[in-house]
Amino acid sequence: MLVHQLLRQGAMTELVGPLSSGRTSLLTLCLRDVTRHGRLAALVDTDHAFDPVGAAAAGVELRHVLWVRAEGQRRRALKAADLLARCPGFALVALDVGESPPRLSLGAAFRLRLAARRSGVALLVVGARRVVGGAAALSIAARRDRLAWAGPGPVPRRLAGMRSEFHLVRKQGAPATAEAERVWWTA
Amino acid sequence: MDGVTRVACVLVEGFAAAALERCEPVLREQPLAVVTGAPPATRVVEANARARADGVRPGSSDADATVRCPGLVRRLASLDAEAAARHALLEACLAVSPRVEEAGPGLVHVDLAGLRRLFGDEAAIGQQLRRQARAVGLEARVGIAASRTAAAVAARVGPTVHVLAPGAERATLAAVPLVTLEWSEALAATFTRWGLETLGDLAALPRDGVGARLGAAGLQAHDRATGIDRTPWALWSAPVFWEEAQGVEWEITTLPALTPVLGRVLERLCARLVAAHLVADALDVRLALASGGHHARSVALAAPLAEPAPIAALLTLDIEAHPPSAPVTGVALSARVVPRRAAPGGLWDPPPPAPRDLAAVLARLTTLVGSANVGTPVVVDSHRPDAWALVGFEVGGPDTAPSAPGAPAEPGGVSSAGDDSCDAAAGALALRRLRPPRTVTVETRDGRPAYVGDPAGGGTGVVTCAGPWRASGDWWDVDVWARDEWDVALADNTVWRLVHDRLRNAWLLEGVYD
Repeated sequence: MLVHQLLRQGAMTELVGPLSSGRTSLLTLCLRDVTRHGRLAALVDTDHAFDPVGAAAAGVELRHVLWVRAEGQRRRALKAADLLARCPGFALVALDVGESPPRLSLGAAFRLRLAARRSGVALLVVGARRVVGGAAALSIAARRDRLAWAGPGPVPRRLAGMRSEFHLVRKQGAPATAEAERVWWTA
Repeated sequence: MDGVTRVACVLVEGFAAAALERCEPVLREQPLAVVTGAPPATRVVEANARARADGVRPGSSDADATVRCPGLVRRLASLDAEAAARHALLEACLAVSPRVEEAGPGLVHVDLAGLRRLFGDEAAIGQQLRRQARAVGLEARVGIAASRTAAAVAARVGPTVHVLAPGAERATLAAVPLVTLEWSEALAATFTRWGLETLGDLAALPRDGVGARLGAAGLQAHDRATGIDRTPWALWSAPVFWEEAQGVEWEITTLPALTPVLGRVLERLCARLVAAHLVADALDVRLALASGGHHARSVALAAPLAEPAPIAALLTLDIEAHPPSAPVTGVALSARVVPRRAAPGGLWDPPPPAPRDLAAVLARLTTLVGSANVGTPVVVDSHRPDAWALVGFEVGGPDTAPSAPGAPAEPGGVSSAGDDSCDAAAGALALRRLRPPRTVTVETRDGRPAYVGDPAGGGTGVVTCAGPWRASGDWWDVDVWARDEWDVALADNTVWRLVHDRLRNAWLLEGVYD
C-alpha cells in the first residue's frame, strides 16, 4: 500500500531523509514490490551503496533489476537516470543520489520530470536532502522513530527493526495549508 | 487415424497466383495468369479468381487467355515466390497448432487436438487459421472434419470455414458433386462414362473393384469419396533459416530503386516471423546479379527485431557501404531467428522495453559508466559478506518464481496517522554499504563497543549495541576470513554495522542501516 502511495507512473517522487531514517529500506520495498510482479526496475546508485545480498533476502527479484553504479560521479548518475527515464518499459527508475547531493538545476530537474511523464516511468529520487524541488510530484521526508532490539537477556543481541515516520513535504496540486499526512512503517 | 480426432485443412486456391499476389499485392485487383514456357508455346498454369471468372483456365494457351480476358496480367511462374508462400502458410498454421502437415502446394493439414481451450469451438479455430494465413498475405479456405481427406474436400466446397459435424462426414461428402473437385482428365472421363455424379456414387462402388480397374489413382479417389485416411501424418517442422525471395523483371542499378524491393521482401519475412512469435537475430542478404553471380552480405542486428522498417534501414546502409558489382536481378533474404520474449502479464504493467531501445540504452550506459558498472546483480552462493556478481541485463519473462527465502509475505507494516499500533508485517531493514569498508578505532567496555573513533572526523559514543555475530569462512583457502559483527546505535542518531576483523584485529564500518 505504501509503495502504491509513493510511486506513480509518469511522475517523479522524492524521498529524503538523513542516514538511518529508513529511506533505503523503503527504496528496497519499492524494488521488491515492482520486481516480484515481473516488472523491470532500474537503480542508479551514485555512491555504490546498494546491498544486493540484503535486497535479495528482502525479496527483491534481482533478475528484474538493472543496477547502474556511478562510483561517486553525480553528473554521470544524473545522465544515467535521464537515459533510463526516457526508455519506456521500466516500471521504476530509482536514483539514489547519496549523502551529499548538490541541488539539481531547475532545467535538469524538469527535464527528468518530463522524461518520466513521456515514458510513463515511475521515477524515485532518494537522497539525504531535496534536490529536485518543485519538479517532484510528491516529496516525502523520512525520520527514524525508534529502534527495536532483541535478545534473551538485558544485553541486546540483535537489531530487530527500525520504525520510521514518513511525512508529506509536498504534493503537487494539494493546497499548501493542507494538514501534513504521516505514515509509520517498520523495517 | 493416428490418434487424431479432428483435423483442419487449410487451402489456398490458385496457389501459384496467390504466391505472386503475395509478392505484388496490387495484382489482387487485376485478372492474373501465371504462365510458363517461351512464346509461342506459353501456357497458363494458374489463374486468380478474377481471371477464372473471365474464362481463363490452367492449360489454356497464352493467346487464348488474352482473347478471353483482354486486361489479363501475365507473370512468369516463380519457384522462389511459391516456396516462400508455402513456408509462410505452414508457419502461419504452426502458430495455431504444433502438428501440421504439408499436403501439397497451398494445402496444409492441421491437427486440432487440444486447441479448443485456446481458441474456442472449431469454427473459431478455423477463423483463427484464416487470420493467420491472411497475416502472411494469403487468403485461405478451411475445412474441418474427422479425417484429412474429408477436411480437404470440405475446404474446397461450401463456406470459407466449413465444419463437418462429427459423424456426419460421410453423409455430407456423399452430396458433393464430382465436378466441383479436381481430378485428372482420365479419371474425370471414366467417372462420366460410369455415370457417377457425386462422391456418394463413387463411395458406393467396391474399393477393390475400383482399384482393379483404375489402379492407385482410383484407390485414392475412392478414399477421397469415403473420407478415410490411409497414410500416416508427416509432420512439418520450421526450418532454422527463414528465407524470402523475389525476382525482378528488370535490372536494378540504383539503391533507391532497390530499397522498395528490399522493403517488400522484408515485410513478408517479418510477417512470417511475427506469426511464428520469432524475431530475427541476423540477416543474410543475397542479391542475384545480372552478371550471373551473387552479392552476399550478412548483417547482424544489435538486438533481435521483427519490425521491417528498422531492418530495411540497416540493410540499405550496409548495401550502400558495400554496393554490388553489377545490376541486381533478384533479392533473397534469410533470417536467423530467435524466440520472441514473452511480455509481463499484468494488465496495468508496462510492456518491457523494445529490444532495440533497450540495447541502445544499455550501450549508452556502458559508455557513460563503463561495462563493469552496468548489469544485473546476482548473489553468489557463499557465506562471505557482500558476495555478489554483476551479469548482463536481460529482460526476463513473467515472474513466477517464489520470493527469496526469508522474505516477508507482504510489504512492510504500515500505519496511518494516529494508528500507533499497526506494525504487524515488517519490511526488511536495508543496509547502505561502504565500499570499501572504512577503518575506525573502537574503544570497548566489557568486550562491547563503547566509543567509535573515525579518523575522518571525530568520534561518537555508542548508545546501544547488539552482537557479536561471529562468522568465518574459506579457512581452507588463502582467502580466509573471520569476523564479529556488531549493530551499534551511535549518539549522532545513526545505526551502523561494525565489524571486527579477527584475523587483522581491525575494526571496520561496513555500512549504515537506513
